[in-house]
Parts: sequence; C-alpha cells; structure tokens
Amino acid sequence: MSKARGAPRRVLAVWCPDWSPDVPDAGPEARAFEQVVAAVAEFCPRVEVVRPGICAIGAGGPARYFGGEEALARKITDAVAALGIVCRAGVADGLFAAQLAARAPPRDPAGASAGTGTPGVIVTPGVIVTPGATPAFLAPYPVSVLGVPVLADLLPRLGIRTLGDFARLPVADAANRFGVPGARAHRLARGLDPRPLTPRQPSADLSVHIDFDPPAGQAEPVVFAAKALAGRMQAGLAARGLACVRVQVQATCADGRDITRLWRHDGLLSALAVAERVRWQLDSWRASQDAGRSDAGRSDPERSGPGKRDPGEASPAGGIIRLRLVPDQLVRDEGRQLGLWGDAVISDRVARAATRVQAMLGHEAVMRPVLAGGRDPAEQVTLVPFGDSRAPLLPAGRPWPGRIPAPAPATVYPVPLAARVTDDAGDAVTVTGRAEASAPPARLSAGGGPWLTVTAWAGPWPVSERWWAAASARRRARFQLVTGDGNAWLAAVQDGRWLIEASYDLTVDATASC
Amino acid sequence: MLPVLPALRELLPGGLQRGSVVAAGDCSLLCLVLAAGASIAGGWCAIAGLPDLGVVAAADAGLDPGRLLLIADPGEGWPQVVASLLDGCELVLLRPPARPSAQVRRRLEAVARRHGGVLVVAGDWDGAQCRLIVARQEWTGIGSGHGRLRARLVQVVADGRGAAARPRARWLWLPGPDGAVAVVATGIGGLGIGGLAGRDGETGGVASPWRGMSAG
Repeated sequence: MSKARGAPRRVLAVWCPDWSPDVPDAGPEARAFEQVVAAVAEFCPRVEVVRPGICAIGAGGPARYFGGEEALARKITDAVAALGIVCRAGVADGLFAAQLAARAPPRDPAGASAGTGTPGVIVTPGVIVTPGATPAFLAPYPVSVLGVPVLADLLPRLGIRTLGDFARLPVADAANRFGVPGARAHRLARGLDPRPLTPRQPSADLSVHIDFDPPAGQAEPVVFAAKALAGRMQAGLAARGLACVRVQVQATCADGRDITRLWRHDGLLSALAVAERVRWQLDSWRASQDAGRSDAGRSDPERSGPGKRDPGEASPAGGIIRLRLVPDQLVRDEGRQLGLWGDAVISDRVARAATRVQAMLGHEAVMRPVLAGGRDPAEQVTLVPFGDSRAPLLPAGRPWPGRIPAPAPATVYPVPLAARVTDDAGDAVTVTGRAEASAPPARLSAGGGPWLTVTAWAGPWPVSERWWAAASARRRARFQLVTGDGNAWLAAVQDGRWLIEASYDLTVDATASC
Repeated sequence: MLPVLPALRELLPGGLQRGSVVAAGDCSLLCLVLAAGASIAGGWCAIAGLPDLGVVAAADAGLDPGRLLLIADPGEGWPQVVASLLDGCELVLLRPPARPSAQVRRRLEAVARRHGGVLVVAGDWDGAQCRLIVARQEWTGIGSGHGRLRARLVQVVADGRGAAARPRARWLWLPGPDGAVAVVATGIGGLGIGGLAGRDGETGGVASPWRGMSAG
C-alpha cells in the first residue's frame, strides 16, 4: 500500500435525488436502485450501496484507467443518465466527504476556474475535491450534516456551528466531552474516514451452480438438483449471517442460451420452494419455446416435425447444461419472529398459490388489503402487492370526523361513476353553498344506466377536506339514496356534478342490467 | 365442512360442503358473508374478479383482511388462476369474467373437490351444489331527507341439490346496524315473522316484517 496508513481513500459517490432518505431497504424503490448500481458496477465491480439513492466506489484505480477522476465522474453520470435517472457524482477523500461532494450544489464553472470558489475544488456534474482539500471543503458545512442528532443540537449551543469549528477542537477534548460518537464525528469533520470503505461482496461469490453432463433433457432432474443447490446456497448465506431479497435462477442451455429470472426470496423460501420456482421458470420457458417453434413450423414446413415432439420429452435447446442460483440484494439476516397468536402467518400453501398467480399475471395482480384511515370509502383501504410490506397511506384507528357511518358500502368505485339526479320536475338537483338541496331527489341514473326512482334519501352532508392544500383540496356534499330496485347508493355533489362513490350492494354489471 | 356464520346456520345446515360450488347471485354482500365463516375459522380467502369490492364492508362482515388475497382482474386465463387459488385457499370467491363453458366448469369443480376448497360464485353457475338468492330487501333508518342508512332486511332463499334440495327462506339483517349479519328476531313490529318466515319452503306469502317500524 503506497499511501500513508490511515489516510482516507479517494471515493466517488453517486447520488440520485429521486430516492428519498427514508426509503425502506427492501422495498420496490430499493429494487429500482439496482439498475443504477448495475450501471456503476460497469466501471468498478465493487460498489457499496450506502442506502437506496447513494452508492460509492473506490475512485483510485478506475480513475487511473478512465483518464482521471473528472472523466470517470462524467462517464458514470452519463451512463446513469442514459437510464433516464437524474444523478450526480462527487469525488473526495473518504466516503462522508464524497457523499457531500455529490450533493453539493453545482457552482458556476466559470467562477470555479477563475478561482473564486473554495481552493482545490473542480466543478463537474458533481464536485471533485482534490486530494488533501477535503477538510477545507467540509469546513463551511453545518454540524447537522454529521447525522448525529445529539451533536447537531448540542454543538451550535456551544458556539460550534460548522464542521470547520468542530475540527479545530483538539482530538482528545472531543473524545472526552462527546464520547465515542463524538470522536467518530470529529474524525469525519477532519476529513478522515471513521471506517474504511467496505465494498459489497460481488454477489457471484455466494452463487452456487451445478453442471449437467450429459445435458438434462427433462425438467425433473434439474428441479431435483435445484433443491440440493438451494440448500447449499442457503447454507452459504447463513454462514455469513446474510439473507437475500431476491434470488436469480439462471439455466444455461447446451446451445448457449440463458434462461434467467429473478424471484423474490426475502430469506423466507425453503429449498423446496426455490426448486418449485425453478420448475415454473422452466415450464413457462418451455411453453414459450413450443409456441414459438410451432409458429416457425407453420412458415417452414421442414421444421414442423420437431414441433410436434412431446414437450416433456426433450428440451428444445439441447438440454440444460448448467443451473446457477445467484443470491441478489444481500441484507443482514435478522430472522423472523412470528407473533405468538393473532398474527396472520402466511402458510407455504398460500404463498405458493399467490406466487404462482403472480407468475401468471404479474407482481401487482395479487394484492393484500390493509385497512387505513380516511373519510372516503375508497381511502380506507390500501392495497399492497403480495410479498411487499407497506404502511397504509392514512393511519387507521384515528377518529376521522365526517366519515360515512357504518354500515360500509360493499362496492366502492375507485373512480366515481358519473351520475344524474333530478327532482320531480326533471330538473337537476343542486346543492347551495350553505349545504341545502335545491329539491328532494326523485330519480337517479348511475353511470349512464336507466333512470331509477329514489324512494328514500338523506343528506346533504358537506365535507371540506384539505382546504389548506390547493392541489388536494376537495369540497363535497354527500347523499345516501335508496332506489326503487332496493339498492342503496352513496352519492356526492362536487363542483356541481353528481358522482356515485359507492353502492351498498350491487356490482357494476348488475347496475347495467337492471 | 367449512363453517359459516351463526346467522346462516339455518340456511346452510352444517356449513359449506368442502369441494363444492356455491352460487350466490349478484348480491356481493351475501357472497362476503358466506366467505366470512371460513375466514373467522382461520382459513384464507381469495377474491377474484371483483375489482370494486369494498374491503371495509368485507371486514365488517367478518372477513379478516390479513388472510385475504385480492385478484382484481384474473384475465383471460382465469380458470387457471382460480385453480391455483383453490390449491392454496380454503375459499375462493369468484365473479367469472365470462360465462364458463361446461368443460371449464367441470375442471374447476374437480379442482375444488381435489383440494377440498369451496368455490363461491358471484352470479350463476350451472350445476352448483347450493344456490342462495336475495328474494326481497328493504333498507331501514332512512326517510325522505332525514335519517341515514342503518340496516337492511333481506329475505334469503337457499336451495340446492341432494340434502339441500328443499328451499329454505330466512329473514336476515344484511348488514345489521353494526355491519355484521344477524338473524332477524321474531316479533318485530308486532308481526310474528318467525312463525311465517321460519317455516321451510314458505317463500311466497311472507309478510313484511318491518311494518310499523319507524324510520331512523
């Protein structure tokens, strides 16, 4: 190692402002960040994901290879921008300063070259702090960027407002007064690293594979081997205390083609369940191959012979020669504590059925409802795709004054149906600003359906929601209407138009037919 | 047998036969109430083809949202989706996107028998072991410009094949004032409806039980 011991490494941090800091680690947003990580990994395979939205690489080697730190930063930002994602790259001594450099506001390039900016700072799509200039770069930042809430509160009251002020304190005093977190923060403020960069181990190290010689023509032996293989992968992860969010199943055919698919794992799949997913993947691929081949057979009569072969008999691409399981998005295995009782434990049987339907229709096709708060019937439920966990948009268990009293409607239209409501004379019923109906509603036509006689009604109940926010503000007057066919409706007047928000019983088809 | 809510025990003695198909007409709340018994007993339910379902009403009826899968649009290959769901769930509530062919019906009935699940169909299903329909309904608690919807009285008629062949009719609160389903107590409004509606097979001449009830 040529550098002095303890000197921080040159680090390049990539910051994508689209990801907010409070994104959960295993959610869909984190998955979306993988494409940025993959793009950065093209330049340097050892990428550390700080959190979804920020990743970092050691800049030393790649910068020499790609012709300087500035060129490297430019290449990386171009590569990420090609994905349609806004990003900025910053280079500095140490991870902490590099993150700040990536997020530093772009200064006027002309001003920087004229030397009016901080000395040693070159402006690119992000900011590049020259070696040794990091303490000067950090000095103007407020102490709150250290991310230690106690210090962010205490230091300004002691008159220490910037990192520069803090760094000027003697090391021993900082450690004496503020303890271990203080000493760590003091190292950061001086432009040193609190810990060395720990790049994520390339996932390939934990992947497992098995070769088939001769090539496996049928799915059965591959699925059988997958079970043992998944057990090996799980053991390898468990030995490092890790779990994977997803597992990539990669089957290589004798003709060199790869069948690759990512499956959600979350550290919950048993070896048998992984083997089952391998079977689904091979089945669906085989089905698509057979369909494609019979199409080809129609255009080319010579190939119609093999197209009629029993699909279970032999693999079209000459058999599978290698099966590989790659754990993806490694996280620390924190185990899973089941509730003692009253917890909806998802049994293997249900999870298998749901995942199978997701394989057919897509991830978002199987939803689990979570009851939420809110005044609208439509707001009171948040739908979460099976396998994800998400908090409801509005908290349940609060009073929500003005919500529609029980019983709850059995049919809730996500987009309210347009409706027309008239009085006895055939004129549209309106609601005044003082929430009075112009006339008793006599007839209703919901969603362009036939006219129904209103036999009973109640309302109007005015609701004025979020009047402080112009974008989501809403004023409605609600009615309950009972029609001659026995159905009851939850209707509302908004901006002079009648809407059907929900129906207490019938489904959409029934309204069309009656 | 899959259990049903206590209020439905007279209509469906013993509960829902495992491996059977139940047709529940177009009344979505009646379908939900049928599914609630299995959910309360700890089973998983899947609801396919009802994108506008009111989950709050389902929860009030007794379905546990934590053990509920919603498949809003099962798509073209819905029989395959329903077969997969029957493999994992005790009860699948389905509104078929299209009228099923006899072949599809037989296949799904066979899947239900094999896995011991119950298929509740919102709509009609030829060859269903059991059929329930809402014969009459009336809302209470709401007047002309006053009150609010509080509860609904419905007359549910059940018939079917084999042991369930005799039609039975019962008056139910669907939903009751708290959103749950309940049997209408006898003697409401001075009329002994238990005596009239309680007799098996008497679906025609049942007097209105809410006569004399004040609105609100």
